[in-house]
Amino acid sequence: MALSQDLVPMRWPSGPLEISRRQKSKGFTPQAQQTLARWHEPAALELLKDTLVNCLVISWAAGLPEDAQQQNTAAALVAEASRRKLSVVGWVEGTADHNRAIGAARAAGLSAVAIQGFKGKPDPLVIAWGDRAGAPWDSAAPVLPITGNVWPGVAGRRDGGTSAGPTGVPWLDSNGWYIQLARARARSDIWVMFDPPGGRTVVPERSYPMAVCDSEAAGGRWVISLDDTLRARLTEEDATAQQTWKGIAAATAFFQKHSAWKFYRPLGNVGVISDFSGGNFDVSGEILNLLSRKGALYQVVWKQTAGAQPFIGLKALIYADGAPPSSELRQKILAFVASGGLLVTGPKWGSEGKSLGPDAHPRFDVRALGKGRLAVAKEDLDDPYQIAIDAQILLSHANDQVRLFGGGASAGYHLTGPADGKSALLQLLTYASARGTSQMAVWVDRNVRGNRLWSIQAVEPAPVTQVAGEYGGTEFHVGSMPAYAALELTL
Amino acid sequence: MKNQWNRREFISGLGAAAGLALGQPARMRAAVPTAPVAVARCKEYGAAYLETSQKLFDQLGGLEKLVKGKTVVLKINLTGEAYYRLGFLPAGRAHWNHPGSIGATVHLLNQAGARRIRVVEGAFAWPDSLPEFLYTAGWDPNVILGAAPRVELLNTNLPFPGKKPYTRFTVPHGGHLFPAYDLSTAYAECDVMVSMAKMKEHATAGVTLSIKNCFGITPTTIYGDRCGTEEPSPIPYAGRTGIMHNGNRQPPKSALAEKDPSSPRNGGYRIPRCIADLVAARPVHLTILDGIETMAGGEGPWNRGVRPCRPGVLMAGTNCVTTDAVAMAIMGFDPMAERGTAPFETCDNTLRLAEELGVGTRDLRQIEVIGTPIREALFKFREVPRATKT
Repeated sequence: MALSQDLVPMRWPSGPLEISRRQKSKGFTPQAQQTLARWHEPAALELLKDTLVNCLVISWAAGLPEDAQQQNTAAALVAEASRRKLSVVGWVEGTADHNRAIGAARAAGLSAVAIQGFKGKPDPLVIAWGDRAGAPWDSAAPVLPITGNVWPGVAGRRDGGTSAGPTGVPWLDSNGWYIQLARARARSDIWVMFDPPGGRTVVPERSYPMAVCDSEAAGGRWVISLDDTLRARLTEEDATAQQTWKGIAAATAFFQKHSAWKFYRPLGNVGVISDFSGGNFDVSGEILNLLSRKGALYQVVWKQTAGAQPFIGLKALIYADGAPPSSELRQKILAFVASGGLLVTGPKWGSEGKSLGPDAHPRFDVRALGKGRLAVAKEDLDDPYQIAIDAQILLSHANDQVRLFGGGASAGYHLTGPADGKSALLQLLTYASARGTSQMAVWVDRNVRGNRLWSIQAVEPAPVTQVAGEYGGTEFHVGSMPAYAALELTL
Repeated sequence: MKNQWNRREFISGLGAAAGLALGQPARMRAAVPTAPVAVARCKEYGAAYLETSQKLFDQLGGLEKLVKGKTVVLKINLTGEAYYRLGFLPAGRAHWNHPGSIGATVHLLNQAGARRIRVVEGAFAWPDSLPEFLYTAGWDPNVILGAAPRVELLNTNLPFPGKKPYTRFTVPHGGHLFPAYDLSTAYAECDVMVSMAKMKEHATAGVTLSIKNCFGITPTTIYGDRCGTEEPSPIPYAGRTGIMHNGNRQPPKSALAEKDPSSPRNGGYRIPRCIADLVAARPVHLTILDGIETMAGGEGPWNRGVRPCRPGVLMAGTNCVTTDAVAMAIMGFDPMAERGTAPFETCDNTLRLAEELGVGTRDLRQIEVIGTPIREALFKFREVPRATKT
């Protein structure tokens, strides 16, 4: 089966290569080894019956002695996958010989081989993958697998508590910001690769659907990956494990049903401009992450394409790259400011604008330019957390687009909409618990004519009570919110 | 009867008399002042609020006498993070002041001739201005800022702008918990201090009224979790659990340490003492208590078993102890109640502690109630065992 877009992929760890790799890891048990062996058997694919999973990502080559054995013994699995109309991607990593891996894949009838940063002769069989900082953005393959992602949820500590962020509130792990960044650049489907926490960590049932939702709400696709215990229990047809599996399948099916949402454009009013490479990726990427955590909605503006991209719906731009933008982009940014926008940038920007005085801001020289403002940092912009907070305040929370009440600090959201502007979609995620939040109210900054709330559990959407905000906008009484819900708004 | 005391009068007159009883707080009861409390029924925050509060102030002798030509600090009551809600109720109809009531009060203060009005709150762990905090709560700060000229909104958790960010306020008679508190200089640049609170119960202190409202004047840069050990932190990071509630550490060395580090390390002992200290050190000249729409069972949505309620009462007074005492009676509690009885089941009686510091009497027999009698305004926040009924 040739690889196409809109696949539902699943990491399928099995066979001698996987066993060899895992044997070197701490806590690898005989049971885990047995499961890896059983998952190499064609019968194991019965698990996928009645699910939307239609693509397996199997270990193919890692530059280890077991590579050849892996490829040979996978034949039956690949054949059964083909019979079930499943695509199969061979995962190549480490010091594997790329040409040999490609040849073996072609001979075995794989749909594709995924090779890190592949730069060889273009081959329709090959898809390039990369980690977050080194993604092969120019890949022409239908999918772009990205590694180095996090397991979404409230970050845990070894003592059983939760990690605190800079404000003392629980720290949330989410891949949403990175997926937005990737989708703003890549033409391919974004596959986010991440595994459940390993070791002794017990992976709660609820966190699997959240892994799906966190990725899909941002427009990406998680390559489903199960922990050792769950795989073993599924193999044993354990009822609880099957329930977890059904939860993953239901979440996946939900987003397949709403695949059009993935093509909605972000409606955030803060634009983050960067080339997102090297140190700029570290700073501007983390700014995206922290803007998310602070509830700010943003759009990713790649410097490479910013010249041709209109700044639709933006009220502020953050430019934190070390090097100045091109002359053309600089002029475009200044025009944005002059027309009423805000630019938050570093000390090397230049001298345009009339300073509002040394006391206007402790960390920025705030200058008036036309109808807008330049906020030029007095020192280098190297603290993404401070930049995210300062940008929000410089813009003012008067320009907040969404506010959650009763949701606590463990919630996140995405606001997107179709190009016609007649509707908007607010996707809400509560990371803290399976039950979600009991009395959540949501406010959006615009007038809304009608709404309907989707959740994974409900068969049909239902409207929730909406009232006019006390000072403008519209408030929705969502009530007891599950881990994920989507509010479709008619504007 | 003189019922308005400024800080100088308090210290030189009454305070001096009370000073004779230093170390013998129980003997001071006879010396503590009283002041009338005005009470009225009020059902809503619109025009009726404005009219009713104006009437209450007039019954107390008029705002003009108190605030004309003065810098007024209006301490409002916005407890907790901005995103908390009791069910779907906006915070102003449950655990916070209503924005309309603040705007109306600012309007009346201005009409009475206040020279400058600073609306202040120590906005939990919020690291920026009070207007920005209000936006995150869904408020429009311009409702307050636009209610009168020369109005400022200040987050007094942040250092006060200028060369002197904090001012030390010494507690008369040595204080219960701390001998002095370092507060925003906004509380020193203040001729008239107003405590505008919501009428609520409180999980730690029994009741949230005008005295408890002053807990929020302690800056979390000095008395909050994760503040500095030597100096105040530049911005607030968290609430006041460690230093104030639990006493598991001292404030930065730039502030004075507590009096007795061997005293009980629990909130029920510490918080009532702290807030009694605060209203003695930073006297309150006018108290406004909003019992129009509020909540019962605790001070915020984070407490278990809380519920919204509508007592429909508004009160004002010029002595925070007498006003809180009348408010307690209206809530169905006995202001003379001791620890172990409602609403002080697990804490000491703040009013008694403030009374010991000479702030005011809690004895209802010595307090004149103007307007609606207590029995007519009575709204029981909960059933109180018969032995402790008023």
